[in-house]
Amino acid sequence: MNTYTIPVGPLHVALEEPMYFKVELNGETVSSVEITAGHLHRGVEYLAVKRTLFQDITLLERLCSLCSNSHPEVYCMSLEQIAGVTLPARAEYLRVIVDEIKRVASHLFNLAIMVHLIGFDSLFMHVMETREIMQDVKETLFGNRMDPAANCIGGVRYDLDADRIAFLTAQLDRMDAALGEIVDLYGNNHSVRLRTRGVGVLSKADAIDLGVVGPVARASGVDYDVRIKAPYAAYDKLDVTVQTEADGDVWSRAMVRLKEVGTAIGLIRQAVKALPDTPIAFFPHERPSIPAGEAIAKCEAPRGELIYYVRTDGSNKPERVKWRVPSLLNFEALKVMLLGAKVADIALIVNSIDPCIGCTER
Amino acid sequence: MSTLPDDLEGRLRTAAPGGMTLTSRPAGKGVTTLWCTLADPRDLRQVAALVKALHGRLSTITALQPKPPKDAPPAVPEVAEAGASPTAPTALAIDGKVHEIAYHFDLDGDTLTVIVLLPSEKAEIESLAPLFRNAEWPEREFMETYAIRVLGHPNPQRLFVDESIDPAVLERLIPFSVLANAATTKSLWERIISRKGGKA
Repeated sequence: MNTYTIPVGPLHVALEEPMYFKVELNGETVSSVEITAGHLHRGVEYLAVKRTLFQDITLLERLCSLCSNSHPEVYCMSLEQIAGVTLPARAEYLRVIVDEIKRVASHLFNLAIMVHLIGFDSLFMHVMETREIMQDVKETLFGNRMDPAANCIGGVRYDLDADRIAFLTAQLDRMDAALGEIVDLYGNNHSVRLRTRGVGVLSKADAIDLGVVGPVARASGVDYDVRIKAPYAAYDKLDVTVQTEADGDVWSRAMVRLKEVGTAIGLIRQAVKALPDTPIAFFPHERPSIPAGEAIAKCEAPRGELIYYVRTDGSNKPERVKWRVPSLLNFEALKVMLLGAKVADIALIVNSIDPCIGCTER
Repeated sequence: MSTLPDDLEGRLRTAAPGGMTLTSRPAGKGVTTLWCTLADPRDLRQVAALVKALHGRLSTITALQPKPPKDAPPAVPEVAEAGASPTAPTALAIDGKVHEIAYHFDLDGDTLTVIVLLPSEKAEIESLAPLFRNAEWPEREFMETYAIRVLGHPNPQRLFVDESIDPAVLERLIPFSVLANAATTKSLWERIISRKGGKA
């Protein structure tokens, strides 16, 4: 049988962002993969120590569009630990609401791209249209369709009054009405299952060994969700269902994300209903002074565990800010998932880890 | 909620015969962060093996060069006597050149950070990739951003920073215009000079 070496990327029609995969083929079957990164490296860790602690909230929100709330949130959590600040109860719930709104929009984007890659473009458009409801929610509540600018040290920068809650709840009802059909199509449509079942398999043993996180881990049967294991914001007070699948293939990863959309909508409803009547920020009128210290904080971003390490020296600039996004761990799993796959499935498998290269390379 | 074993400190002490300090800080909502500083970086592998046995996961690795305390006297380099055992790195003077590596492990939600300090003249550490497959990328990352050698790394190539760029980028001051790859023209400067009547 003939062997070939083909490049996939760094600029590729099926990749949303640049990454270079050097793929060795045996006929049509992938025999090895080499990943070359760095095309989107911007030196943001360096920039973060040149800006003030407060400017960094804005900088970090711009690392990535799909999980743009998670970065400033965990960064603020780190500084809150260092400063010994406890969030007002209302701020905890408001953080959950913006987190879950972003999760819905992020997951639906990935799910839409998946069906686009298998040629099911009518479903792609339907999912993107449904996602648009959440984009409108973001635009209405935060004035921005991608970067909500919702976090500050010690709380949040937005609030919900009765009118906004009524609008949000009405949009969630619209989402629920559309989701039922989408879940059925992804779960049972013959074409979708044919292209995604048994493709790009990551076993539970490999998932644990590679340390993958988020929906990629949960689709391989790893029952780990930061919202449960290391609760933050108001997640300890809410009923969070961890979605898992057993088979670790492209379809399982899609189904975990799809079910998590339902869970996220449920969490927004719970949080809106329980919204306490307290201030929305610990420091409502001034910028806090952050003492010298160090802290670790993590959250369940749409792609999985996002972890921040922050060290301060008592000045208004951080001494070190380091973060690791879920995609950085999940990329290595592609070498396992792609082994033995067909050429035609490469883009589909890469998409199934919901890769975020802007986040990964910083 | 926290599921840390009761005898964790004792097991860490056994795994680190060179000595260590362990502190615990609550991170709120029942979550704990543990900070373990090893006196001898050669104990890292054994400590990491213990974490692996406890079903820990390597979350990430942070390298940095800690700044000297503001009121500290000038650092005096220590001179090791011939034949003496290596200087305990925790005794290293924090002079702004010493490297610190913090390995952040997840223990079912809690975080154990294992810290080693490396002298600037011999910043070397064993790779954890044989124990944790996901150590490969974080180790490649700090190898290219700091002047730290990782011994036994399975693939010691650049990760994000191009080969054409000098090593240890985070140890150098990089002008913003270079960082942003933005060429600047003289036109703004010339306009300022002309407005000031030829004086800068």
